[in-house]
Amino acid sequence: MRLYDIVVLVSPDLTDEDAQKTLGDYRKILADGGAEFVKDESWGRRRLAFPIGRKRDAFYHLFQVKAEPALVSETERRLKLSDQIVRHLAVRADEELKRAAKMAVRIAKKQAKRPPRPPAAPEAAAPRPAPPEMAGEMPERSES
Amino acid sequence: MMPSRSGGRSGSRDRDGKPSQRKKFFVRRRKVCKFCAEKLEYVDWKDVKLLQSFIPERGKILPRRISGTCALHQRKLQTAIKRARFVALLPYATD
Repeated sequence: MRLYDIVVLVSPDLTDEDAQKTLGDYRKILADGGAEFVKDESWGRRRLAFPIGRKRDAFYHLFQVKAEPALVSETERRLKLSDQIVRHLAVRADEELKRAAKMAVRIAKKQAKRPPRPPAAPEAAAPRPAPPEMAGEMPERSES
Repeated sequence: MMPSRSGGRSGSRDRDGKPSQRKKFFVRRRKVCKFCAEKLEYVDWKDVKLLQSFIPERGKILPRRISGTCALHQRKLQTAIKRARFVALLPYATD
């Protein structure tokens, strides 16, 4: 099971109910195929940034699902066939999220390791701190 | 004695130069990657408001040189913007 973001743009020529009905069809396809809905949100009727097929706006809907790749490709195939769908985009999201979570942990770790800044100006009489050891460590300034 | 060319770059800031000489130059604020600063690791392509801040009037992607975004996040931002464009959340070009 992989996590996918599927955004669907339904034709604005349909009424609200009809648009919901067509979306319902795809929801059913996904649900029947064993998809697990994480998010199922409507963004309502939005203006398109540029016209697509003479249409200036569309009903946006986002499905965030955990599903098998085969099911998603099947859903995409059907979305492509439909006339009521202006455009759709299905993108895998789990890999990016996983990497982001890993990075967040790494940053947290790095910050914990770094000693906090001295609050005030160090006293002149204080002995000079030992120079930082670079041996064997990863370069610290690689990203900022 | 007088140096004919004074370092006006930001690199001279940490040197102990004469303050009167330095004041003439505009001190540039150091640019920081927005995603690193706010610890946003995942650049969401559905977040139009966020992406819009990297889209100037013309609709092009704001270069790293100007926004200060780090290489890693600029790459992620780039794909996010391109995805948002495909579903017409953002323009490809405006005139």
